Amino acid sequence: MKRLVIYLMFTGILSAQTFTVEKVSGDVKYQNGSSENWLSLNSGSTIEDDAIISTGDNSSVVLGGSNVRFNLNESSAISVSSIKKMNTDELLLALAMEDMMNAPKEIKNSSSNTAVYGTKEGESNTLQIKTDDFGIKRLNGAVQLAKNGFQESAVVTAKETYRKYPDTKNLPSYRIYFANILNDKGLYEEALDEYVDIQKLKLTDEERAEVNEKTESIKMKLLSE
Amino acid sequence: MFAGVNILSQSSFGLNGYWGLSPSFNTPLYGYESNSSNYSHVRDWGLSFIYGAEFAQKTNSNIYSISLSKTLSEHNLSARFTPGYQKEFIFNTGEAIIVEDSTSQSLTANFNYKELFGLGYSYKFSEQFSTGVTFRFFTQDFAQEIVSPVFGDTLFLIRETQNEKINYWKGDLGINYIVNEYLNFSLASINLLNFGEKAENSDFAKFEIKKEINAMLGISVIPIDEAVINFIYETTNSYQVSLNGYLSDFGFGLTLFHDEYQSPTIAGMIPTISYKGEIFELFVSGVKYFSNRKKNFGVTEFIENGINNIVNNRYSFDKLLLTVSFNINTVKERAVKMIDVEIVKDIYPTFSENYIDYPFAYGTVVNLTDEYVTVKPMARIEGVNEENIQSPISYIAPHDTVRVPFYVIIPESYSSEKVELSYADFYLFTNSDQPDDQFQKAVLLNSINSWDGRVSNLRYFIKKDLDLSMNHAKAVLSDNKSVLDTLPIALENFYKAKILFNEYVSNLVYVSDPRATGEYVQFPNQTLELRGGDCDDLSVGYSSLLESVGIQTALVDYKGNGKVRHVNLLFNTRLSPNQAKLITNNDTKYFVRESIDGKDEIWLSIEATSLTDFETAWKLGAEKFNKEAISELGIAKGIVNIIDIY
Repeated sequence: MKRLVIYLMFTGILSAQTFTVEKVSGDVKYQNGSSENWLSLNSGSTIEDDAIISTGDNSSVVLGGSNVRFNLNESSAISVSSIKKMNTDELLLALAMEDMMNAPKEIKNSSSNTAVYGTKEGESNTLQIKTDDFGIKRLNGAVQLAKNGFQESAVVTAKETYRKYPDTKNLPSYRIYFANILNDKGLYEEALDEYVDIQKLKLTDEERAEVNEKTESIKMKLLSE
Repeated sequence: MFAGVNILSQSSFGLNGYWGLSPSFNTPLYGYESNSSNYSHVRDWGLSFIYGAEFAQKTNSNIYSISLSKTLSEHNLSARFTPGYQKEFIFNTGEAIIVEDSTSQSLTANFNYKELFGLGYSYKFSEQFSTGVTFRFFTQDFAQEIVSPVFGDTLFLIRETQNEKINYWKGDLGINYIVNEYLNFSLASINLLNFGEKAENSDFAKFEIKKEINAMLGISVIPIDEAVINFIYETTNSYQVSLNGYLSDFGFGLTLFHDEYQSPTIAGMIPTISYKGEIFELFVSGVKYFSNRKKNFGVTEFIENGINNIVNNRYSFDKLLLTVSFNINTVKERAVKMIDVEIVKDIYPTFSENYIDYPFAYGTVVNLTDEYVTVKPMARIEGVNEENIQSPISYIAPHDTVRVPFYVIIPESYSSEKVELSYADFYLFTNSDQPDDQFQKAVLLNSINSWDGRVSNLRYFIKKDLDLSMNHAKAVLSDNKSVLDTLPIALENFYKAKILFNEYVSNLVYVSDPRATGEYVQFPNQTLELRGGDCDDLSVGYSSLLESVGIQTALVDYKGNGKVRHVNLLFNTRLSPNQAKLITNNDTKYFVRESIDGKDEIWLSIEATSLTDFETAWKLGAEKFNKEAISELGIAKGIVNIIDIY
C-alpha cells in the first residue's frame, strides 16, 4: 500500500484518442461502446476509443492515430482504449485495482434472499455456456499490443482477460509471455506471483524449465535486495 | 472618658497560618479570616475543632472554634462557633472611692470583645472559578464603675456599674480564581457589610470595634507539586508570606506576618505541622510574636494603639493550637475527573449503526488517585436517549490522563425531521452509583433525512425500512411471476433487477437535488411516494429494492475530481464469467468481482438517473464505469470508490 501511494503521486493522465482505419483485410468487425451488435469495419472510417475490434482468420486491420500506427493481426480482439502508453507506475496501479475491485473480505451481514419466486430452489446455478474463442482473441490482441510497444497496457489487458474468460488462465504460453513482460520491467514480485501460479498448470518440459529458472532467478534477486 | 481608640475587627490572620487555597488540606479553609469566600474542598460534611492555649500571666486554654461545613453539588454552606475568639481588657478608670474603713478602692472598666459565630456560603461556577460570602457575629460587652451621689438626709455616694452590650454583623465577599494547577488568586473584602447596634453610652462608643472597609489579595504559586508559596496583602498594608510543603500525608507550613499595627516589621510567625489521614486532618500550630508581650499597660497606651484584631493584636500572647478536622463523606471521593469532552461527530440519526461502531465523542479523563481506576463512561443525548448509554470500560493508570470514548445508541423510533441543537450529558462512574464527574456539551442533532455527504453512509438510507422496499419489490415481481418462472435460476438476479428497474423508473422523474443541497437524502419509500429524486435518492431507492430481494449491491462514488460528484450503483448478477454470454455479447458491459467465498461473479453498473429503461441505464452505467473507474484508473487513484452495501 505504501508503494501504491507513492506511485499515485507520479501517475499521469492516460490519454484516449480516436483512430482512423487505414487498411482492412478480410473479416474485421467492431462494437461501438456498449452496443450488442458487431458491425463490419471499413477502411477510411474513424473509430472511437470505447470500441472493440475483432479480426477473423486470415484477417487484419491497420489503425492510425496521432503518433501511433497499430497493426492488429488475425484472430485477435482489442479494446481501442487499450492502445495507449502507460508507465510502470500506471501498470502497478492497474494491477492493484484488480484487488480493489473485489467485494470486501469482511462482511457483517450478507444479504439474505428473502424472496424466492417459482420453484427452482433445487435447480443448479451452474448453467453451462459453450465457450468460444473470444478470450483467446483478447489475449492475441494483448500480445500484439506488447509487440507494438504497449507492454504495460498488454499486461493489463491480459489480466482482465484472465478474469472475464477464466479458461484463458490455463494457457501456459500466454501466461508465460505476459509474466516475462513483468519480469523484464523489473516488477519481480508481480512476476513471481504469476510464475508460481503458472507452475500449477500443465506445462511442457520446456515451459516448466523456463518458469522454474525465472522463479529461482527472481527469488535470488529478491533475497539480495 | 477615653477617646480615639483604634479598634478594628478582623484581618486575614488565621490561627493555622496562611495556606492559600490549600490544594492538599481542608483545615486551613475553615478560617474565614483569610477565606472570606468560604472556598472549600470538602466533598460532603466537614467538622473542625481548634483547641489552644495562650501563654499569658497564666496559661489559658480554650476551645477556639468549632466549624461545620456541608457541600451540596456546587454549593457549600458552613458555620462556625468561636468561643475562643475574645479579648478582655480591664482598666482603672482613674477614680477611687474611700470606703468606711478609710481604704481607697479604684473604680474599674471592663471591655470584652468577642466574635461568637459565623456563617458562610460559596458557589463553585467551575473548577477554576468560585465565589462566596461570609457573615460573622460580634458582640462587645462594656462595663464601667462609676460613683453616683444619693441624696437623702445625708448625702452619700454609691458605687454602681454601667453596662452595655453591643452586637453587630459584618459580611464580606470573596472570589477565587484557579488559573491552573500552579497558580491561583483570591480577592476578598474586609468589613464590606456592617450592620447592627451602636453604643448609646458615649463613653463606650469610643471603644467600639471600628469597621473600616479594606480588601485583601491572595496569590499562591506552586512551583513544584510538593510546595506552595503564598502571599496575601491587605490594603491596611499588613501582609503575610508563607511556605507550605507536602511529603506523603504530612505537611508543614511557616507563615511570617507583617502587621501594620504591631512591631517589629515581621511581627511574628506561625509554624505548623500537619498530618492527613483517611477521614481526618491534624494540625499543630503555634503563634510566636517577635516583640515582648505586655501583660500590664496603661489606658493611655491602649487609647493610642487600640487593637485591630481580636485574636491577633499587640496585647495577644504566644499560642499553641491543636486543630482536628474530619471529612465525613457520605459522598465518595471522586477518583477521576473529566477535563474536557470533544464531540467528533455530529449526530445523523439514520447512521445509527455507525454510532455503535464508532464513538461520537471523546472525554479527556484524569485518574486523581494513586491506583489503577476502572472507569465506566456513560452518555445521554437530550431528545434522543431516555437513559444513559454505557460505553466500554476504560482502565486508567495512577495520575494518568487518557481519552475515553463515548458511544450513543440512536433508537429505531427516532423520527425527527428537524435539525436542532441539543446537548449531551457525559458521566464517569468508578465504583458507586454516583458519577465521579460529569460534563455537558452541545450536540448538533440532524434530521433523519440528513446526510453528511459520504457516499459510504448512504447504506444506512438503503437499509432503513427495508421491509417497505421488500413489500414493493415482492408486489412487482409477483406481477412478473410468469416470466421469472420460465428462466434458468442463474439468470434470476439479472431479470429481477431488470424488472424492478423498469417498474421503478416508469413513474419517476430525475430532479437535480430537490432540496438544493447534497445534505438531504430521501428514504426509498419517500422516493416512491414523491416519484422523483436526485442521483443519491434514485440510487438509494433502487439499491434498496434489490437488497430487499437478496441481490447484492454496491454504490459507486464518482468523486468528480473537482467536477460534479455523482453516485450510481453496481449489482451482483451471481453469474460466473463463463455465463456472461447469457446476458451480453459485449465484454465491456460487465465487471468481474471476487466474492467473499473466492468466486468470481459478474456485476453490472446501472445508471439509476437514466429513467428510460434497464438496457439504457446498464449501457450508460457500464460506459461511465469503464471510462472513469477502469481506463482512467479512478478506483486505484481513489477518485472512484465502490461501497458495498451489506
